[in-house]
Amino acid sequence: MNSRFGTNVISILSLAVLWEVTGRIMDSTLIPPLSRIGAAWWKLLASGKLAANLTLSLTTLAAGFFLAVAIGIVIGLLMGRFRAVEHFLDLYVNVLMSAPTTAFVPVLIMWFGLGVESRIAVVFLFAVFVIIINTMTGVKQVDSVLVEMARSFGAKEKEIFFKIILPAAMPAIMAGVRLGMGRAVKGMVTAEMLLTLTGIGAMIMQYGSSFATDSLFAVILTILIIAMITMRAVQWLDRRLTGWKAEIAIE
Amino acid sequence: MVEIRGVSKSFQKTVKDNTTEVKALTDVNLSVRANEFVSIIGPSGCGKTTLLKIIDGLIPCDSGQISINGKQVTTPGPDRAVVFQTFALLPWRTVLANVEFSLELRQLPKEERARTARDYLKRVGLADFENHYPHELSGGMQQRAGLARALAVNPMILLMDEPFGAVDAQTRQLLQEELLDLWQRERKTVIFITHSMDEAVYLSDRVVVMTPRPGQVAEVLDVPLARPRVADEVRRDPKFVELTNYIWHSLKKAMENHH
Repeated sequence: MNSRFGTNVISILSLAVLWEVTGRIMDSTLIPPLSRIGAAWWKLLASGKLAANLTLSLTTLAAGFFLAVAIGIVIGLLMGRFRAVEHFLDLYVNVLMSAPTTAFVPVLIMWFGLGVESRIAVVFLFAVFVIIINTMTGVKQVDSVLVEMARSFGAKEKEIFFKIILPAAMPAIMAGVRLGMGRAVKGMVTAEMLLTLTGIGAMIMQYGSSFATDSLFAVILTILIIAMITMRAVQWLDRRLTGWKAEIAIE
Repeated sequence: MVEIRGVSKSFQKTVKDNTTEVKALTDVNLSVRANEFVSIIGPSGCGKTTLLKIIDGLIPCDSGQISINGKQVTTPGPDRAVVFQTFALLPWRTVLANVEFSLELRQLPKEERARTARDYLKRVGLADFENHYPHELSGGMQQRAGLARALAVNPMILLMDEPFGAVDAQTRQLLQEELLDLWQRERKTVIFITHSMDEAVYLSDRVVVMTPRPGQVAEVLDVPLARPRVADEVRRDPKFVELTNYIWHSLKKAMENHH
């Protein structure tokens, strides 16, 4: 763990140095040196512009993602547990899972208008299907012997669900949540760039079209950092909930 | 005490569009006395495990009936507990929590659960491993936990489905001895499914030989060996050798008659 952390730091530092040097040698607006990006970032931060837009973006992200988690897990559990529900829904889920979600953006605008609802809907659509499919697969892969064991000791349906199915499927559910998180961030930026120019996405479009590359890179770096933090948060949750599985995997 | 009367069971087997009916058991009859240790032995696929599940009430039979002390079996009940071939421990629970699982379902208060579970872990020699997870234990130790979980609910009848089939030979002998020891103290009725003639004779009061599919009782044999049985002495006993040989021939005959 420690040596890995060390390697990560070295990797980031050397990339930073390489970038700075390249930027200075090229002396072009297309690749601004890291120090200039840092300065731009500091200016955005000091003006309060970054924080305001970030708050807007992250609120959308949180709302859409939590909706996707809640609804995705419930639908996935039902599809995994009941054949009829699976056969009723799996066609749509599979199609929508691989369809380019961006194509639905115009429809969402018609339905929800240009407000925050549409952006939340985009984040939701980006994230929900991978959560559904992973949850369903997790439920279907539960070892039937465990269910049989519980039944033989007198477990009722509710106990089988909460004491066997749900904990056994938890690693797969969390894998879905992890993948969903990544897709949700993509959905957030897509919505803000394509739909209504707001939040982080608006900043990217604005700085991109005006060749303010130092500010542009500052925003992009911010997005990368957010993606990393949210990923880490989900990983942490995953370890708390399914630590037993991780230990088995290591062996 | 356990009366098995005319039990038959078929399964639908679907390969592509062809659904065929596979007869697993036909007209199985057997009586098991209280506190008796009975082994059921037979070739693979003869429906031994199916029979055990029907006795447990996990699956219904098509015809015939099973009764325990005169009461017909339709669902699993507190008078029976199963020990599974693949242990069926919950990987996210510690050994202690696994043993407590059966007690949770019986709505025992938390403290009593832990106390009872610890008591049974001690009896199977796992007292020092209560905080370990199943994957940290050997197969033999996992099955000890499975046995403790079954014993903890204090069933009258212990249903064991090839419980030592998934452990190595030395561990298997050790577990057999420990099981006999426990059985001598706890006095349970045991119905024990096995592939091993040696195991069946060493453990049992009676050995039930089954025919290949559809399974039927071919023969019921008394084991004329005194108890308590000391493993290496018993295995050298001429009566032991004679009986295992006899069972081997009986199995062979049953298999030949079916081909």
